[in-house]
Amino acid sequence: MLPSSYYVFLSAFVFSVGLYGVLTRTNAVVILMCVELMLNAGNLNLIAFATHHGGVAGIAGQTFTLFVLAVAAAEVAVGLGIFILVYRRYGTVDVRKPRLMRW
Amino acid sequence: MVTTAELVAFAPELSVAGTAFLVLLLDTFSREKRGGVSLAVAFAGVAVAFVATVFHMSIGTDTTAFAGTLAVDPFALFFGLAVLITTALVLLSSTEYMGRVYPERSESLTEYVALILFAATGMLLMASARSLVTAFIALELAALPSYALVAFAKDDRAGVEGGMKYFMLGAVSSAFLLYGISLVYGATGTFDFAGIAASVSAGDATGLAGLGALFVLVGLGFKIAAFPFHVWAPDAYTGAPTPVSAFLSSASKIAGFVLLFRVFTVALPTSLNWLLAVQVLAVLTMTYGNFAAAVQSSVKRMLAYSSIGHAGYVLIALAVFSSGGDDAALALGAGMSHLFVYAFMNTGAFLVVALIDDYWGVGYEFEDYAGIARKVPLIGVAMAVFMFSLAGLPTGGGFLSKLAVFAGAVRSGFWWLALIGVVNSALSLYYYSRVLRWMWIEEPGDGAPALDGRPVGIYTAILVAAVVTFGLLFAFEPVLSTAEEAASALLS
Repeated sequence: MLPSSYYVFLSAFVFSVGLYGVLTRTNAVVILMCVELMLNAGNLNLIAFATHHGGVAGIAGQTFTLFVLAVAAAEVAVGLGIFILVYRRYGTVDVRKPRLMRW
Repeated sequence: MVTTAELVAFAPELSVAGTAFLVLLLDTFSREKRGGVSLAVAFAGVAVAFVATVFHMSIGTDTTAFAGTLAVDPFALFFGLAVLITTALVLLSSTEYMGRVYPERSESLTEYVALILFAATGMLLMASARSLVTAFIALELAALPSYALVAFAKDDRAGVEGGMKYFMLGAVSSAFLLYGISLVYGATGTFDFAGIAASVSAGDATGLAGLGALFVLVGLGFKIAAFPFHVWAPDAYTGAPTPVSAFLSSASKIAGFVLLFRVFTVALPTSLNWLLAVQVLAVLTMTYGNFAAAVQSSVKRMLAYSSIGHAGYVLIALAVFSSGGDDAALALGAGMSHLFVYAFMNTGAFLVVALIDDYWGVGYEFEDYAGIARKVPLIGVAMAVFMFSLAGLPTGGGFLSKLAVFAGAVRSGFWWLALIGVVNSALSLYYYSRVLRWMWIEEPGDGAPALDGRPVGIYTAILVAAVVTFGLLFAFEPVLSTAEEAASALLS
């Protein structure tokens, strides 16, 4: 079995990839996917640490992961709804286009 | 097992959440869409929650529930009261506002009401959370309806743009928060606040926990719109329907602060070295908020930046935190009392903008406000109370609460933080008084639109906020002592 530190490094990498995508991508849907990567990095951490701690402490971490999955799904639902509105108003989901408000 | 005592303790939350479902149910089974009925029911539900909160405060409820994941203590109740008051004021002004400004959305007024109530439930639970799991879920429960509320006017380009930006940055901040939570869990093996503190004090993997604390700080920094995590706030507040801006900049910020206070004073000891980060955050936030507010040409946007500045003042209360001790409790209590006053004056100021900008359709710019106060002196006086109180002049409780915050900083030995705060406060007088100059001194232009209609609900909400803001000048002592007692109970 791999030591749990491997998973923590993997999750740090996934989080970084997600953050990089959020900062560089301009398509709203792709940004949302990158946010999902970041959330899943957190999940990966939770699972890895849950295995590491084991016992009751471990179960707490695994249960929380399930909660996070549900929350993330709800978040996507709201987000895609807003993106549809953006698409209707602006004809694109490029985050650079809506720029009514600056400063 | 859920006991009756637990349910009684959570009467405020249950009442608000139950009302949200009730409102949706009533709407489903009624033939016509009557937003007014929904608002009345919602208002009644919030009133019940308010009474329940006051009742718990009066009997001094201090208990935990649901396997220790939530607490009903003076600290949570104090903030719950502020959230409920803001919610009530916003609901009170919403019928007329939505009816006039967004008539095309009048069919969906019930959804608007339900979203506000769900968000308020989340904020109340944030105040009660004593485990990182409940904290995260309560925060999301508050955030998801807020995104939808900002973009509620579907045909309004600014609203949709604000909603998108708010959603994007909110989602990223949740990811930061979750990652931080996972690191803290990894270091300590528990989500319970007290358990985390015990484990960190025992010296378990403090490096990992410290990194986690930093991520949590970033995640919550977004929530309270602290610089440099504030970028969503001006756009979301400007684009949203103005009562929603009032709701977000008051209730949502207050809820963010209560979580920040509880997590960082109870769960994460100062040995994790987060104090310096909070100090930097406080200085940057208040300075940036004030300077950016000073150069705005739109009143609503100015208020948005001013609310960022106020987040900076409140952060002082946490920045001077030294583990335990009376000074820490007094400083924290001062910050809490400032948030309480802020709930009234900031909500009131946004509602005045809602009335003038949108309801009367006067316009967003300072220039558009020319001579308004001469036509409606009552609103002019109310705005003067809000503005001077926000600036920290003795026309309202804002003077005393700011004084308490700065005094708390000096008492804890952070005189330089207090000094920066005072300088910022003085600067803020410039842009706050600018609104009043336009409203009171300048002559109205020729093309100024007639101020059509006197909406009873909006007027009532503004006047209640103004009277309470002014009244807190004389009744500030009980608020401050309640806050201080709640803070010392939390820290002991």
